[in-house]
Amino acid sequence: MSLGFILAQCLGALSQAAVLFFIACGLTLIFGIMRIINFAHGAIFMLGAYVGFTIVAVTGSFLLSLVLAPIVVGGLGMAFERVFLRHLYGRRDGGAYLLLTFGLAVVLSELIRMIWGAQPRASGIPDFLRGIVVILEQPFPLYRLFLIAAGLAAALAIWQFLERTRAGLLIRAVSQNAEMVHALGTDVALVRTAVFGLGCAMAALGGVLAAPLVTAFLGMGTTVVIDAFVIVIMGGMGSFLGSLIGSVLVGFVQVLGAYYFQDLALAFMYFLMLIVLVIRPGGLLGRED
Amino acid sequence: MSRNVSFALTVGICMLLPFMVPQYSLTVLIEALIFGLFAMSLDLLVGYCRLYSFGHAAAYGLGAYSAALILTRLLLPLPIGIVLAVLVTTLVAVPVAWICTRSTGVSFAMLTLAFAQLGYAMLFRFRDITGGSDGIVGIPRPPGPLGMTWFQGKTGYYYLVLGCLIGSYLLCRAIVRSPFGAVLAGIRENEAKTIALGYNTRAYKIATVVLAHGFGALAGALYAAFAGFASPELFFWLVSGRVLIMVVVGGAGTLIGPVLGGVFFVFLEHELSEITDLWPLIFGSVFMTFVMFAPQGIWGILTRRSSPRAELPGAGNETSDAAA
Amino acid sequence: MPLLECKGLVRRFGALVAVDAVDMSLEAGRIRAVIGPNGAGKSTMFNLITSVLKPSAGEVIFAGENITGLPVHAVALKGIARTFQLCHVFPALTARENVRIAAQAREHQRWRFIGGRHVVTRSTAAADEALEHLRLTRLANVRAALLSHGDQRLLEVAMAIAQKPRLLMLDEPTQGLSLEETDRAVEVLKSMLGAGNLSVLLVEHDMEVVFKLAHDITVLHRGRVIADGSPAAVKANAAARSAYLGGTE
Repeated sequence: MSLGFILAQCLGALSQAAVLFFIACGLTLIFGIMRIINFAHGAIFMLGAYVGFTIVAVTGSFLLSLVLAPIVVGGLGMAFERVFLRHLYGRRDGGAYLLLTFGLAVVLSELIRMIWGAQPRASGIPDFLRGIVVILEQPFPLYRLFLIAAGLAAALAIWQFLERTRAGLLIRAVSQNAEMVHALGTDVALVRTAVFGLGCAMAALGGVLAAPLVTAFLGMGTTVVIDAFVIVIMGGMGSFLGSLIGSVLVGFVQVLGAYYFQDLALAFMYFLMLIVLVIRPGGLLGRED
Repeated sequence: MSRNVSFALTVGICMLLPFMVPQYSLTVLIEALIFGLFAMSLDLLVGYCRLYSFGHAAAYGLGAYSAALILTRLLLPLPIGIVLAVLVTTLVAVPVAWICTRSTGVSFAMLTLAFAQLGYAMLFRFRDITGGSDGIVGIPRPPGPLGMTWFQGKTGYYYLVLGCLIGSYLLCRAIVRSPFGAVLAGIRENEAKTIALGYNTRAYKIATVVLAHGFGALAGALYAAFAGFASPELFFWLVSGRVLIMVVVGGAGTLIGPVLGGVFFVFLEHELSEITDLWPLIFGSVFMTFVMFAPQGIWGILTRRSSPRAELPGAGNETSDAAA
Repeated sequence: MPLLECKGLVRRFGALVAVDAVDMSLEAGRIRAVIGPNGAGKSTMFNLITSVLKPSAGEVIFAGENITGLPVHAVALKGIARTFQLCHVFPALTARENVRIAAQAREHQRWRFIGGRHVVTRSTAAADEALEHLRLTRLANVRAALLSHGDQRLLEVAMAIAQKPRLLMLDEPTQGLSLEETDRAVEVLKSMLGAGNLSVLLVEHDMEVVFKLAHDITVLHRGRVIADGSPAAVKANAAARSAYLGGTE
């Protein structure tokens, strides 16, 4: 097992982590603001992949899809929040959110099937990102390096946004104490809509980035939402840093699992989830005891 | 008294249906009843305990595959095969329930989903046994015991399914009205208080999950023997989604509501799928509308309840509109 | 031997020490009131005794048995019934059903999912008795969510007594009650005590109720016991006065 090989595995894990980060980050931000787990987040990731595919098919530009798909899906997310989710604030029963976002996941899946059909859609890796890079005598796909770079760039951008900008400060404040912020004159409802849109945009971007590797296929959302959920629980619900660390951890676990337990890789992930939830069964409300 | 009369009437009509409808409709009817049973099994969790399972397809799929394997490999009589399939699934459900009930809310939902996904993946992993993506085909309906063959024909099978549905309904109704059922109501209304009263709510929740899996498995087993095959789609998350939709739209917490929801869902799907490709979309949208504006579901509206299980049937409550 | 003994109970929340080495004992058949300003740790004490929170240190002994750290439902089954500061009932169920479920908790066959008619009958009778005690019978078929706040609190007390507990723990039971309702509650408690076999631990802010009911008083301040004794002794205690009684009322 050469150093080059180990490095290649690590980079593979990091590229995996990058995609997971896009989804988990959005999920945790949404939770921080709205105290709900958006079950449709996986479906939104999937929608991003398909929308990205179409933009590439129509315009031929991968870069354009990177920009447009998140905007489109983010916009749809904001609309969904305004029209549907908003009605549920203040309901005693938390189950309504769960069901509603679940319903959205179902509707999105069916819409996608309707519009794009049941076969996977692949636009493939864009030409300028195709190719192999040799690192320490090990071949490594250029596209995966690109993913890592994209993930890092996004993490930095979001971090700076949350820490340095006024909007970011507002978001952090609302996730800590929405009532206070409201009393100080901010339109908290607007912040919620914006953050939901941002979270969806990020997930969609993850989808666009992932599609060239895994193709856009029905059902890609379900697995990924469970992964994102595990990450968010592990990293701490609502914690941006936690979603970053968690994504890296899970990325490594998944790559290790795929390497050592090929056939059972899928099961491996679920066992991880079981372990995480067994240790932190409090889940959403995370009771202290 | 009128409730029991209308119930008897409905049962009576159901028993006469095979003579009133053409044969091809009977197929749809059988599927509808099976789905009604499946939906009712989930209602125990969703309506009575407020435990939202996103993986109830696992009960269905396990029941179906267990029955498929037992009937094709062991060639036991159909009724025995079905009973065994239910038993096997119930046993498997115990550790699953134990793990899932460690959490509530979203975590519970995710765990149940994960188990169903795991089951789905396992089907492909052990394809020698399960037939992989082809599934198990050619499931027979072996006669017996005592040489019984009435269930081998379509009409006979209809009565089998109807009997199972009615029996399960009566059983579930008894459960819900029992002391056990009252504790479930307490868990739904205020779990902290129920624990403070001295109930080990975890045990009750585990029991409910296992019961729900049992009835769900019965539906799955009946389906496998009816369709003659069991395939991986039975475990797919959209199946869990459909049955959840049926429960909520039908009327969670009423037992009858989900049965009706399941029955009508199958009929509508059958009719609409010939007209338009959009029907799953329609159902999803209808579902979301109900969640937002009519969470008590159709049956809940019809029986004028403002929230599920508004009044618990009990010794002193016969004055209330206690239905299911 | 006292019915309930708290030995050196401590509970920390990070750097905050909510309960600081509290010793307290309650003799059978008596009423002890726990008083103190807001944030003194009274409700935390209750949560420690009933195992809703696990103590950072210390023990809880009930009827000679160490119940520290037992699961919440097990503590309840030992004979401890409590009410909560924020009213906890089953909103969608009728008043009678609320109390019946409470009474059912003591039944050995409460898990019966088939049959169990006799369990239901017995617990209904116990429920009606408790409702009668608190003069809530006329509301028996009303859904708890529709009851007035005061009636809900009394319903909670009915649920507690239907459990036929040896120790009744009431967390600010008269909060939000009208004068009449408060008198009703006090009357019921007194009569139950008179019947024997019941002890009461009471968190209360209403000093009139405290001095009317309590045999013994514990004064908490910032998690510590600063006074402990009969009402007269506590009234005379300077530390207690300055921390609590002196500032308010």
